[in-house]
Amino acid sequence: MSAPPSRTRAQVLAPSPASEPVPASPTPSVPADGGSGTTRTYEKRPFLLDFFPLETAKDTRLSRFFDRLREGHLSTTRCAKDGELLWPPRTACPKCHGEALEWVDLPETGRIYAFSAVLAGAPLGMEDQVPFAVGLVDLEGVPLRLFGRIEGRPWNQLSVGQTVRVESFDIGDGRFFYRFRAPT
Amino acid sequence: MSARGVALVGGTTIPWGVRSATWPELAQEIGAALFRAVPELRTEDVDSLFLGAAEPERFAFQSHVAPLAAEQMGLRPTRILQRTELACASGQSAIRSAYAAIAAGLSDVAVAVGIEKMNLPSMAEANTAMGCALDRPWDGPHGATAPPFFAMVAQRHMLEYGTTEEQMAAVSEKNHRFANTNPHAHFHEKKFPRDKLLRLPMVAPPLRLGDCSSMTDGAAAVVLAGEEFVRRYTDTPVWVRGTGQYSDFHNLANAGSLTDWVGLKHASREALGRAKIAPKDLDFAEVHDCFTISEIIEYESIGLCPPGEGGKFATDGRAEIGGDLVVNPRGGLLGCGHPLGATGIGQAVEVYQQCAHRVPAERQVPDPEWALVHNLSGSANVHSVMVYQGGGTA
Repeated sequence: MSAPPSRTRAQVLAPSPASEPVPASPTPSVPADGGSGTTRTYEKRPFLLDFFPLETAKDTRLSRFFDRLREGHLSTTRCAKDGELLWPPRTACPKCHGEALEWVDLPETGRIYAFSAVLAGAPLGMEDQVPFAVGLVDLEGVPLRLFGRIEGRPWNQLSVGQTVRVESFDIGDGRFFYRFRAPT
Repeated sequence: MSARGVALVGGTTIPWGVRSATWPELAQEIGAALFRAVPELRTEDVDSLFLGAAEPERFAFQSHVAPLAAEQMGLRPTRILQRTELACASGQSAIRSAYAAIAAGLSDVAVAVGIEKMNLPSMAEANTAMGCALDRPWDGPHGATAPPFFAMVAQRHMLEYGTTEEQMAAVSEKNHRFANTNPHAHFHEKKFPRDKLLRLPMVAPPLRLGDCSSMTDGAAAVVLAGEEFVRRYTDTPVWVRGTGQYSDFHNLANAGSLTDWVGLKHASREALGRAKIAPKDLDFAEVHDCFTISEIIEYESIGLCPPGEGGKFATDGRAEIGGDLVVNPRGGLLGCGHPLGATGIGQAVEVYQQCAHRVPAERQVPDPEWALVHNLSGSANVHSVMVYQGGGTA
Protein backbone atom coordinates (compact mmCIF):
# COMPACT_ATOMS: atom_id res chain seq x y z
CA MET A 1 0.00 0.00 0.00
CA SER A 2 1.30 3.38 -0.90
CA ALA A 3 1.33 6.15 1.65
CA PRO A 4 -1.46 8.70 1.37
CA PRO A 5 -0.40 11.88 -0.41
CA SER A 6 1.19 14.28 1.98
CA ARG A 7 -0.80 17.43 2.54
CA THR A 8 2.41 19.35 3.10
CA ARG A 9 3.36 18.65 -0.51
CA ALA A 10 0.83 21.27 -1.49
CA GLN A 11 3.16 23.87 -0.14
CA VAL A 12 5.53 23.41 -3.06
CA LEU A 13 2.82 23.95 -5.67
CA ALA A 14 3.27 27.06 -7.74
CA PRO A 15 0.35 29.48 -7.80
CA SER A 16 -1.96 29.07 -10.77
CA PRO A 17 -0.95 31.79 -13.23
CA ALA A 18 -4.50 32.69 -14.11
CA SER A 19 -5.65 32.90 -10.52
CA GLU A 20 -6.65 36.06 -8.75
CA PRO A 21 -5.88 36.26 -5.03
CA VAL A 22 -8.78 35.23 -2.82
CA PRO A 23 -10.53 38.48 -1.91
CA ALA A 24 -9.78 39.56 1.62
CA SER A 25 -12.55 39.98 4.14
CA PRO A 26 -14.12 43.36 3.61
CA THR A 27 -13.02 45.97 6.05
CA PRO A 28 -15.69 47.90 7.89
CA SER A 29 -15.04 50.89 5.64
CA VAL A 30 -16.55 48.99 2.70
CA PRO A 31 -20.26 49.78 2.74
CA ALA A 32 -22.78 47.01 2.22
CA ASP A 33 -24.71 47.67 -0.96
CA GLY A 34 -27.91 47.99 1.01
CA GLY A 35 -29.95 46.51 -1.82
CA SER A 36 -32.26 43.58 -1.61
CA GLY A 37 -30.68 41.50 -4.36
CA THR A 38 -31.99 40.92 -7.82
CA THR A 39 -35.32 39.23 -8.33
CA ARG A 40 -35.79 36.32 -10.68
CA THR A 41 -38.99 34.43 -11.05
CA TYR A 42 -38.89 30.66 -10.89
CA GLU A 43 -40.87 28.75 -13.48
CA LYS A 44 -42.13 26.12 -11.07
CA ARG A 45 -44.16 27.72 -8.35
CA PRO A 46 -45.38 25.93 -5.27
CA PHE A 47 -48.59 27.65 -4.21
CA LEU A 48 -48.87 26.35 -0.68
CA LEU A 49 -45.14 26.70 0.03
CA ASP A 50 -44.84 22.99 -0.62
CA PHE A 51 -43.92 20.84 -3.57
CA PHE A 52 -46.02 17.79 -2.74
CA PRO A 53 -49.76 18.01 -2.13
CA LEU A 54 -50.38 15.86 0.94
CA GLU A 55 -54.15 16.07 1.09
CA THR A 56 -55.52 12.60 0.35
CA ALA A 57 -56.08 9.68 2.71
CA LYS A 58 -52.90 8.09 1.41
CA ASP A 59 -50.82 10.88 2.95
CA THR A 60 -52.77 12.46 5.79
CA ARG A 61 -55.22 11.46 8.49
CA LEU A 62 -56.88 14.86 7.97
CA SER A 63 -57.96 14.24 4.36
CA ARG A 64 -61.57 14.78 5.43
CA PHE A 65 -60.73 18.49 5.91
CA PHE A 66 -59.77 18.83 2.26
CA ASP A 67 -62.68 16.68 1.05
CA ARG A 68 -65.06 18.94 2.96
CA LEU A 69 -63.41 22.07 1.53
CA ARG A 70 -63.99 20.67 -1.94
CA GLU A 71 -67.67 20.45 -0.98
CA GLY A 72 -67.59 24.14 -0.02
CA HIS A 73 -67.32 23.88 3.77
CA LEU A 74 -64.60 24.84 6.23
CA SER A 75 -64.39 22.27 9.00
CA THR A 76 -62.18 21.31 11.89
CA THR A 77 -61.88 18.76 14.67
CA ARG A 78 -63.46 18.85 18.12
CA CYS A 79 -62.47 16.68 21.04
CA ALA A 80 -65.30 14.25 21.68
CA LYS A 81 -64.40 14.02 25.36
CA ASP A 82 -63.98 17.61 26.53
CA GLY A 83 -65.60 19.47 23.63
CA GLU A 84 -62.48 21.53 22.87
CA LEU A 85 -62.66 23.10 19.39
CA LEU A 86 -59.23 22.71 17.83
CA TRP A 87 -57.44 24.63 15.07
CA PRO A 88 -55.75 23.57 12.95
CA PRO A 89 -57.51 20.19 12.69
CA ARG A 90 -55.70 17.58 14.78
CA THR A 91 -55.48 13.89 15.45
CA ALA A 92 -55.02 14.16 19.23
CA CYS A 93 -56.42 16.66 21.73
CA PRO A 94 -53.63 18.82 23.23
CA LYS A 95 -55.58 19.21 26.49
CA CYS A 96 -56.72 15.70 27.42
CA HIS A 97 -54.55 13.85 24.88
CA GLY A 98 -57.55 11.81 23.84
CA GLU A 99 -57.58 10.65 20.25
CA ALA A 100 -61.33 10.52 19.82
CA LEU A 101 -61.94 13.63 17.70
CA GLU A 102 -64.98 14.48 15.62
CA TRP A 103 -65.35 16.66 12.54
CA VAL A 104 -67.52 19.78 12.76
CA ASP A 105 -68.34 22.41 10.13
CA LEU A 106 -67.35 25.94 11.10
CA PRO A 107 -69.51 29.09 10.79
CA GLU A 108 -69.51 30.73 7.37
CA THR A 109 -69.10 34.31 8.59
CA GLY A 110 -66.76 36.19 10.89
CA ARG A 111 -65.51 39.64 11.81
CA ILE A 112 -62.10 41.10 11.11
CA TYR A 113 -60.02 41.35 14.33
CA ALA A 114 -56.90 42.70 12.60
CA PHE A 115 -55.69 42.97 9.03
CA SER A 116 -52.79 44.09 6.92
CA ALA A 117 -51.59 43.55 3.39
CA VAL A 118 -48.55 42.20 1.62
CA LEU A 119 -47.34 45.05 -0.58
CA ALA A 120 -43.85 43.61 -1.03
CA GLY A 121 -41.95 40.49 -0.08
CA ALA A 122 -44.37 37.76 -1.18
CA PRO A 123 -43.31 34.11 -1.04
CA LEU A 124 -42.73 31.95 -4.12
CA GLY A 125 -45.78 31.56 -6.30
CA MET A 126 -47.48 34.62 -4.82
CA GLU A 127 -45.44 37.41 -6.42
CA ASP A 128 -48.13 38.06 -9.05
CA GLN A 129 -50.84 38.42 -6.40
CA VAL A 130 -49.27 41.45 -4.66
CA PRO A 131 -50.85 43.48 -3.19
CA PHE A 132 -53.09 41.14 -1.22
CA ALA A 133 -54.82 41.52 2.13
CA VAL A 134 -54.58 39.11 5.06
CA GLY A 135 -56.26 39.19 8.41
CA LEU A 136 -57.30 37.48 11.61
CA VAL A 137 -61.03 36.82 11.65
CA ASP A 138 -63.18 35.97 14.68
CA LEU A 139 -65.59 33.31 13.46
CA GLU A 140 -69.19 34.03 14.40
CA GLY A 141 -70.29 32.28 17.59
CA VAL A 142 -67.24 30.06 18.16
CA PRO A 143 -63.98 30.76 20.01
CA LEU A 144 -61.78 30.62 16.91
CA ARG A 145 -59.78 33.44 15.35
CA LEU A 146 -58.49 32.24 12.00
CA PHE A 147 -55.81 33.77 9.85
CA GLY A 148 -56.37 34.02 6.11
CA ARG A 149 -56.34 35.88 2.84
CA ILE A 150 -59.10 38.49 2.50
CA GLU A 151 -60.46 38.98 -1.02
CA GLY A 152 -63.29 41.14 -2.33
CA ARG A 153 -61.96 44.59 -1.45
CA PRO A 154 -58.59 46.35 -1.61
CA TRP A 155 -56.81 46.34 1.74
CA ASN A 156 -57.36 50.07 2.24
CA GLN A 157 -61.12 49.58 2.10
CA LEU A 158 -61.18 47.00 4.91
CA SER A 159 -61.86 47.81 8.56
CA VAL A 160 -61.60 46.11 11.93
CA GLY A 161 -64.98 44.69 12.93
CA GLN A 162 -66.14 44.26 9.35
CA THR A 163 -68.05 41.07 8.50
CA VAL A 164 -66.49 38.69 6.00
CA ARG A 165 -67.59 35.34 4.59
CA VAL A 166 -65.59 32.14 4.57
CA GLU A 167 -65.17 30.53 1.17
CA SER A 168 -63.31 27.62 -0.31
CA PHE A 169 -61.60 27.91 -3.64
CA ASP A 170 -59.73 25.85 -6.20
CA ILE A 171 -56.13 26.98 -6.13
CA GLY A 172 -55.70 25.95 -9.74
CA ASP A 173 -54.03 22.58 -9.47
CA GLY A 174 -57.05 20.64 -8.26
CA ARG A 175 -56.46 21.44 -4.62
CA PHE A 176 -58.73 23.57 -2.47
CA PHE A 177 -58.02 25.98 0.35
CA TYR A 178 -60.04 28.51 2.35
CA ARG A 179 -60.03 32.31 2.39
CA PHE A 180 -62.26 35.17 3.43
CA ARG A 181 -64.29 37.49 1.23
CA ALA A 182 -65.38 41.00 2.17
CA PRO A 183 -68.69 42.22 0.69
CA THR A 184 -68.08 44.36 -2.39
CA MET B 1 -27.97 30.21 40.16
CA SER B 2 -25.67 27.39 39.27
CA ALA B 3 -22.79 25.77 41.08
CA ARG B 4 -20.35 26.74 38.36
CA GLY B 5 -20.09 30.30 37.04
CA VAL B 6 -20.17 30.79 33.27
CA ALA B 7 -19.04 33.94 31.49
CA LEU B 8 -18.65 35.46 28.06
CA VAL B 9 -14.91 35.93 27.62
CA GLY B 10 -14.80 37.40 24.13
CA GLY B 11 -16.55 37.65 20.81
CA THR B 12 -16.85 39.43 17.52
CA THR B 13 -18.90 39.94 14.39
CA ILE B 14 -18.04 40.31 10.72
CA PRO B 15 -19.58 42.96 8.44
CA TRP B 16 -23.31 42.29 8.04
CA GLY B 17 -25.29 43.16 4.93
CA VAL B 18 -25.80 41.83 1.43
CA ARG B 19 -22.56 39.89 1.29
CA SER B 20 -20.88 38.52 -1.82
CA ALA B 21 -20.05 35.37 0.10
CA THR B 22 -21.50 31.90 0.59
CA TRP B 23 -22.51 30.27 3.89
CA PRO B 24 -19.21 28.36 4.29
CA GLU B 25 -17.26 31.50 3.43
CA LEU B 26 -19.09 33.40 6.16
CA ALA B 27 -18.17 30.54 8.52
CA GLN B 28 -14.48 30.83 7.63
CA GLU B 29 -14.61 34.60 7.99
CA ILE B 30 -16.14 34.52 11.47
CA GLY B 31 -13.69 31.81 12.53
CA ALA B 32 -10.73 33.93 11.47
CA ALA B 33 -12.25 37.02 13.07
CA LEU B 34 -12.90 35.21 16.35
CA PHE B 35 -9.33 34.02 16.78
CA ARG B 36 -8.10 37.57 16.02
CA ALA B 37 -10.54 39.02 18.57
CA VAL B 38 -9.63 36.54 21.32
CA PRO B 39 -5.87 36.14 20.82
CA GLU B 40 -5.39 33.88 23.85
CA LEU B 41 -7.88 31.34 22.48
CA ARG B 42 -6.26 28.23 21.00
CA THR B 43 -8.23 25.88 18.77
CA GLU B 44 -7.54 22.95 21.09
CA ASP B 45 -9.12 24.88 24.00
CA VAL B 46 -12.52 24.80 22.35
CA ASP B 47 -14.11 21.53 23.46
CA SER B 48 -17.61 22.34 22.21
CA LEU B 49 -19.26 24.23 19.38
CA PHE B 50 -22.86 25.40 19.35
CA LEU B 51 -24.10 26.74 16.03
CA GLY B 52 -27.15 28.97 15.71
CA ALA B 53 -28.46 28.58 12.17
CA ALA B 54 -32.12 29.03 11.33
CA GLU B 55 -32.62 27.86 7.77
CA PRO B 56 -29.47 26.72 5.98
CA GLU B 57 -31.54 23.93 4.41
CA ARG B 58 -33.40 26.55 2.39
CA PHE B 59 -30.96 29.44 2.25
CA ALA B 60 -27.84 27.39 1.54
CA PHE B 61 -29.29 23.96 0.56
CA GLN B 62 -27.16 22.40 3.27
CA SER B 63 -28.00 20.33 6.33
CA HIS B 64 -25.62 18.79 8.91
CA VAL B 65 -24.21 22.28 9.25
CA ALA B 66 -22.54 21.98 12.67
CA PRO B 67 -19.59 19.87 11.43
CA LEU B 68 -19.41 22.06 8.34
CA ALA B 69 -19.09 25.14 10.53
CA ALA B 70 -16.50 23.40 12.71
CA GLU B 71 -14.38 22.51 9.69
CA GLN B 72 -14.68 25.98 8.18
CA MET B 73 -13.71 27.59 11.49
CA GLY B 74 -10.83 25.20 12.09
CA LEU B 75 -12.35 23.57 15.17
CA ARG B 76 -12.45 19.92 16.26
CA PRO B 77 -14.95 19.71 19.11
CA THR B 78 -14.35 16.77 21.42
CA ARG B 79 -17.33 17.11 23.74
CA ILE B 80 -20.43 18.70 22.26
CA LEU B 81 -21.11 19.68 18.66
CA GLN B 82 -24.64 20.89 18.14
CA ARG B 83 -26.77 23.10 15.95
CA THR B 84 -29.58 25.03 17.56
CA GLU B 85 -32.60 26.10 15.53
CA LEU B 86 -35.23 28.41 16.93
CA ALA B 87 -35.86 30.63 13.91
CA CYS B 88 -35.02 34.22 14.87
CA ALA B 89 -33.74 33.11 18.29
CA SER B 90 -31.38 30.40 16.99
CA GLY B 91 -28.32 32.38 18.09
CA GLN B 92 -29.44 32.90 21.65
CA SER B 93 -30.32 29.20 21.76
CA ALA B 94 -26.71 28.39 20.93
CA ILE B 95 -25.51 30.58 23.81
CA ARG B 96 -28.07 29.12 26.21
CA SER B 97 -26.99 25.59 25.25
CA ALA B 98 -23.32 26.45 25.71
CA TYR B 99 -24.11 28.02 29.07
CA ALA B 100 -26.05 24.94 30.20
CA ALA B 101 -23.28 22.59 29.09
CA ILE B 102 -20.57 24.56 30.90
CA ALA B 103 -22.67 25.05 34.03
CA ALA B 104 -23.25 21.29 34.12
CA GLY B 105 -19.55 20.55 33.76
CA LEU B 106 -19.91 18.93 30.34
CA SER B 107 -17.84 21.63 28.66
CA ASP B 108 -15.12 24.02 29.85
CA VAL B 109 -14.63 26.34 26.90
CA ALA B 110 -17.27 26.57 24.18
CA VAL B 111 -17.82 28.70 21.10
CA ALA B 112 -21.32 29.81 20.23
CA VAL B 113 -21.46 30.96 16.64
CA GLY B 114 -24.36 32.17 14.52
CA ILE B 115 -24.30 32.09 10.73
CA GLU B 116 -27.02 32.99 8.26
CA LYS B 117 -26.92 33.56 4.52
CA MET B 118 -30.27 35.04 3.47
CA ASN B 119 -29.79 37.06 0.30
CA LEU B 120 -30.33 34.85 -2.72
CA PRO B 121 -30.90 35.61 -6.41
CA SER B 122 -34.63 35.20 -5.72
CA MET B 123 -35.98 37.17 -2.79
CA ALA B 124 -39.18 35.13 -3.13
CA GLU B 125 -37.20 32.06 -2.07
CA ALA B 126 -36.05 33.90 1.05
CA ASN B 127 -39.60 35.07 1.72
CA THR B 128 -40.76 31.48 1.43
CA ALA B 129 -38.13 30.40 3.92
CA MET B 130 -39.42 33.06 6.33
CA GLY B 131 -42.99 31.84 5.78
CA CYS B 132 -41.87 28.36 6.73
CA ALA B 133 -40.96 29.63 10.22
CA LEU B 134 -44.70 30.06 10.76
CA ASP B 135 -47.22 27.19 10.59
CA ARG B 136 -46.32 26.38 7.00
CA PRO B 137 -49.29 24.27 5.82
CA TRP B 138 -51.95 26.36 7.57
CA ASP B 139 -50.72 29.98 7.80
CA GLY B 140 -48.12 29.94 5.04
CA PRO B 141 -50.49 29.35 2.11
CA HIS B 142 -52.22 32.67 2.82
CA GLY B 143 -48.95 34.47 2.17
CA ALA B 144 -48.06 34.94 5.82
CA THR B 145 -44.56 36.15 6.53
CA ALA B 146 -43.31 38.30 9.39
CA PRO B 147 -44.27 41.79 8.11
CA PRO B 148 -48.05 41.26 7.76
CA PHE B 149 -48.20 39.52 11.14
CA PHE B 150 -46.35 42.29 12.98
CA ALA B 151 -48.39 44.82 11.01
CA MET B 152 -51.51 43.35 12.63
CA VAL B 153 -49.77 43.61 16.00
CA ALA B 154 -49.11 47.29 15.29
CA GLN B 155 -52.68 47.86 14.14
CA ARG B 156 -54.06 46.38 17.37
CA HIS B 157 -51.61 48.34 19.54
CA MET B 158 -52.65 51.55 17.78
CA LEU B 159 -56.32 50.65 18.22
CA GLU B 160 -56.06 49.61 21.86
CA TYR B 161 -53.58 52.22 23.13
CA GLY B 162 -53.42 55.01 20.57
CA THR B 163 -49.84 54.23 19.59
CA THR B 164 -48.83 56.28 16.56
CA GLU B 165 -46.69 55.95 13.46
CA GLU B 166 -44.57 58.78 14.86
CA GLN B 167 -43.83 56.77 17.99
CA MET B 168 -42.83 53.76 15.90
CA ALA B 169 -40.61 56.02 13.79
CA ALA B 170 -38.89 57.20 16.99
CA VAL B 171 -37.67 53.64 17.58
CA SER B 172 -36.45 53.40 13.99
CA GLU B 173 -34.67 56.76 14.27
CA LYS B 174 -32.94 55.77 17.53
CA ASN B 175 -31.72 52.40 16.32
CA HIS B 176 -30.49 53.64 12.94
CA ARG B 177 -28.72 56.50 14.72
CA PHE B 178 -26.97 54.03 17.06
CA ALA B 179 -26.11 51.90 14.00
CA ASN B 180 -24.08 54.85 12.69
CA THR B 181 -21.52 54.00 15.36
CA ASN B 182 -21.38 50.35 14.24
CA PRO B 183 -19.39 49.82 11.04
CA HIS B 184 -20.59 46.20 10.83
CA ALA B 185 -24.27 47.24 10.71
CA HIS B 186 -26.30 46.64 7.54
CA PHE B 187 -28.10 49.99 7.57
CA HIS B 188 -27.14 53.39 8.85
CA GLU B 189 -29.04 56.57 9.48
CA LYS B 190 -28.36 57.99 6.03
CA LYS B 191 -30.38 55.17 4.50
CA PHE B 192 -33.26 55.96 6.85
CA PRO B 193 -33.11 59.72 7.53
CA ARG B 194 -35.26 60.92 10.41
CA ASP B 195 -37.37 63.31 8.32
CA LYS B 196 -38.11 60.69 5.64
CA LEU B 197 -39.20 57.76 7.86
CA LEU B 198 -42.90 58.56 7.65
CA ARG B 199 -42.75 58.89 3.88
CA LEU B 200 -40.99 55.61 3.14
CA PRO B 201 -43.06 53.05 1.24
CA MET B 202 -45.39 50.72 3.12
CA VAL B 203 -44.27 47.09 3.32
CA ALA B 204 -47.30 45.83 5.25
CA PRO B 205 -49.55 48.66 6.46
CA PRO B 206 -49.11 50.33 8.89
CA LEU B 207 -45.45 49.23 8.77
CA ARG B 208 -43.15 51.14 6.42
CA LEU B 209 -39.71 50.19 5.22
CA GLY B 210 -38.08 51.93 8.18
CA ASP B 211 -40.18 49.90 10.62
CA CYS B 212 -38.83 46.56 9.38
CA SER B 213 -35.55 44.73 9.88
CA SER B 214 -34.08 43.15 6.82
CA MET B 215 -32.82 40.00 5.13
CA THR B 216 -29.16 40.15 6.04
CA ASP B 217 -26.12 37.93 5.59
CA GLY B 218 -23.95 37.80 8.66
CA ALA B 219 -22.16 35.88 11.35
CA ALA B 220 -21.09 36.45 14.95
CA ALA B 221 -19.33 34.37 17.59
CA VAL B 222 -18.72 34.44 21.33
CA VAL B 223 -16.56 32.33 23.61
CA LEU B 224 -18.02 31.09 26.90
CA ALA B 225 -15.92 29.59 29.66
CA GLY B 226 -16.35 27.98 33.05
CA GLU B 227 -15.18 30.06 36.00
CA GLU B 228 -11.79 28.33 36.38
CA PHE B 229 -10.94 29.13 32.74
CA VAL B 230 -12.26 32.67 32.45
CA ARG B 231 -9.14 34.63 33.39
CA ARG B 232 -7.11 32.79 30.77
CA TYR B 233 -8.91 34.88 28.14
CA THR B 234 -10.08 38.16 29.62
CA ASP B 235 -9.93 40.61 32.49
CA THR B 236 -13.50 41.69 31.75
CA PRO B 237 -15.69 38.57 31.88
CA VAL B 238 -19.44 39.05 31.57
CA TRP B 239 -21.28 36.52 33.69
CA VAL B 240 -24.49 34.76 32.72
CA ARG B 241 -26.81 35.43 35.66
CA GLY B 242 -30.19 34.32 34.41
CA THR B 243 -32.12 32.77 31.56
CA GLY B 244 -35.79 32.38 30.79
CA GLN B 245 -37.84 31.14 27.89
CA TYR B 246 -41.52 30.71 27.16
CA SER B 247 -43.48 29.23 24.28
CA ASP B 248 -47.23 29.45 24.23
CA PHE B 249 -48.54 28.81 20.69
CA HIS B 250 -47.52 28.24 17.10
CA ASN B 251 -50.47 28.59 14.74
CA LEU B 252 -51.60 32.23 14.47
CA ALA B 253 -55.14 31.22 15.46
CA ASN B 254 -53.87 30.35 18.92
CA ALA B 255 -52.10 33.66 19.56
CA GLY B 256 -54.62 35.22 21.94
CA SER B 257 -53.89 38.92 22.45
CA LEU B 258 -51.51 40.35 19.88
CA THR B 259 -50.43 43.21 22.14
CA ASP B 260 -49.96 41.50 25.51
CA TRP B 261 -46.84 39.37 25.12
CA VAL B 262 -47.45 36.94 27.94
CA GLY B 263 -44.47 34.83 26.89
CA LEU B 264 -42.07 37.73 27.28
CA LYS B 265 -43.48 38.60 30.68
CA HIS B 266 -42.84 35.02 31.82
CA ALA B 267 -39.39 34.73 30.23
CA SER B 268 -38.08 38.08 31.49
CA ARG B 269 -39.49 37.53 34.98
CA GLU B 270 -37.77 34.14 35.08
CA ALA B 271 -34.43 35.46 33.86
CA LEU B 272 -34.44 38.59 36.05
CA GLY B 273 -35.60 36.52 39.02
CA ARG B 274 -32.71 34.11 38.63
CA ALA B 275 -30.35 37.11 38.48
CA LYS B 276 -32.12 38.53 41.54
CA ILE B 277 -32.62 41.93 39.96
CA ALA B 278 -35.59 44.03 38.84
CA PRO B 279 -36.14 45.72 35.45
CA LYS B 280 -35.12 49.07 36.98
CA ASP B 281 -31.66 47.64 37.77
CA LEU B 282 -30.84 47.14 34.08
CA ASP B 283 -28.25 49.47 32.57
CA PHE B 284 -28.93 48.43 29.00
CA ALA B 285 -30.81 45.92 26.93
CA GLU B 286 -30.50 44.32 23.54
CA VAL B 287 -34.08 43.55 22.56
CA HIS B 288 -35.57 42.02 19.44
CA ASP B 289 -36.64 45.00 17.31
CA CYS B 290 -37.48 42.93 14.24
CA PHE B 291 -40.11 45.65 13.79
CA THR B 292 -40.47 48.99 15.57
CA ILE B 293 -43.71 47.84 17.20
CA SER B 294 -41.85 44.87 18.69
CA GLU B 295 -39.49 47.11 20.64
CA ILE B 296 -42.43 49.20 21.88
CA ILE B 297 -44.26 46.13 23.23
CA GLU B 298 -40.99 44.76 24.64
CA TYR B 299 -40.57 47.88 26.83
CA GLU B 300 -44.00 47.09 28.23
CA SER B 301 -43.70 43.32 28.61
CA ILE B 302 -40.25 43.41 30.21
CA GLY B 303 -41.74 45.83 32.73
CA LEU B 304 -39.89 49.03 31.82
CA CYS B 305 -43.20 50.89 31.52
CA PRO B 306 -46.92 50.13 31.89
CA PRO B 307 -48.93 48.49 29.06
CA GLY B 308 -49.73 50.96 26.31
CA GLU B 309 -46.97 53.41 27.21
CA GLY B 310 -44.19 51.89 25.10
CA GLY B 311 -44.58 54.45 22.32
CA LYS B 312 -44.22 57.31 24.78
CA PHE B 313 -41.23 55.52 26.36
CA ALA B 314 -39.53 55.86 22.96
CA THR B 315 -40.46 59.47 22.23
CA ASP B 316 -39.56 60.57 25.78
CA GLY B 317 -36.00 59.35 25.24
CA ARG B 318 -36.15 56.85 28.08
CA ALA B 319 -34.36 54.19 25.97
CA GLU B 320 -31.47 56.53 25.11
CA ILE B 321 -28.13 57.17 26.80
CA GLY B 322 -29.12 59.34 29.76
CA GLY B 323 -32.58 57.74 29.93
CA ASP B 324 -33.86 54.90 32.13
CA LEU B 325 -31.63 52.39 30.32
CA VAL B 326 -30.07 52.20 26.87
CA VAL B 327 -31.95 49.94 24.47
CA ASN B 328 -30.22 48.50 21.42
CA PRO B 329 -27.03 50.56 21.47
CA ARG B 330 -25.42 48.49 18.67
CA GLY B 331 -28.27 49.57 16.36
CA GLY B 332 -30.72 46.76 16.93
CA LEU B 333 -32.06 44.47 14.25
CA LEU B 334 -33.36 47.55 12.45
CA GLY B 335 -29.87 48.95 12.02
CA CYS B 336 -27.67 45.85 12.06
CA GLY B 337 -30.00 43.72 9.98
CA HIS B 338 -31.33 40.35 11.05
CA PRO B 339 -29.28 37.34 9.94
CA LEU B 340 -31.50 35.00 11.94
CA GLY B 341 -28.95 32.67 13.53
CA ALA B 342 -26.37 35.43 14.06
CA THR B 343 -28.62 38.03 15.66
CA GLY B 344 -28.66 36.65 19.21
CA ILE B 345 -24.89 36.19 19.14
CA GLY B 346 -24.35 39.70 17.79
CA GLN B 347 -26.37 41.04 20.72
CA ALA B 348 -24.16 39.10 23.17
CA VAL B 349 -21.04 40.47 21.46
CA GLU B 350 -22.40 43.96 22.14
CA VAL B 351 -22.99 43.09 25.79
CA TYR B 352 -19.41 41.87 26.12
CA GLN B 353 -17.94 44.89 24.29
CA GLN B 354 -20.05 47.38 26.26
CA CYS B 355 -18.92 45.91 29.58
CA ALA B 356 -15.30 45.98 28.38
CA HIS B 357 -15.70 49.63 27.30
CA ARG B 358 -14.69 48.67 23.79
CA VAL B 359 -17.44 50.42 21.83
CA PRO B 360 -17.32 53.93 20.33
CA ALA B 361 -18.05 56.66 22.86
CA GLU B 362 -21.27 57.67 21.05
CA ARG B 363 -22.92 54.45 22.12
CA GLN B 364 -21.02 53.57 25.29
CA VAL B 365 -23.42 52.87 28.15
CA PRO B 366 -22.16 54.72 31.25
CA ASP B 367 -20.93 52.27 33.91
CA PRO B 368 -22.54 49.22 32.33
CA GLU B 369 -23.17 46.35 34.72
CA TRP B 370 -26.54 44.66 34.17
CA ALA B 371 -27.77 43.80 30.67
CA LEU B 372 -30.77 41.93 29.33
CA VAL B 373 -30.84 40.25 25.93
CA HIS B 374 -34.16 39.29 24.37
CA ASN B 375 -35.09 37.43 21.22
CA LEU B 376 -38.52 36.56 20.04
CA SER B 377 -39.01 34.03 17.31
CA GLY B 378 -41.66 33.30 14.71
CA SER B 379 -44.84 35.23 15.39
CA ALA B 380 -43.63 36.34 18.84
CA ASN B 381 -44.85 32.93 20.01
CA VAL B 382 -41.54 32.14 21.68
CA HIS B 383 -39.55 34.53 23.88
CA SER B 384 -35.98 33.91 25.02
CA VAL B 385 -34.23 36.10 27.58
CA MET B 386 -30.78 36.14 29.15
CA VAL B 387 -29.45 38.43 31.87
CA TYR B 388 -25.75 39.24 32.09
CA GLN B 389 -23.56 41.01 34.64
CA GLY B 390 -20.34 42.73 33.70
CA GLY B 391 -17.70 42.87 36.44
CA GLY B 392 -18.06 40.87 39.62
CA THR B 393 -16.88 37.33 40.18
CA ALA B 394 -18.31 33.89 39.59
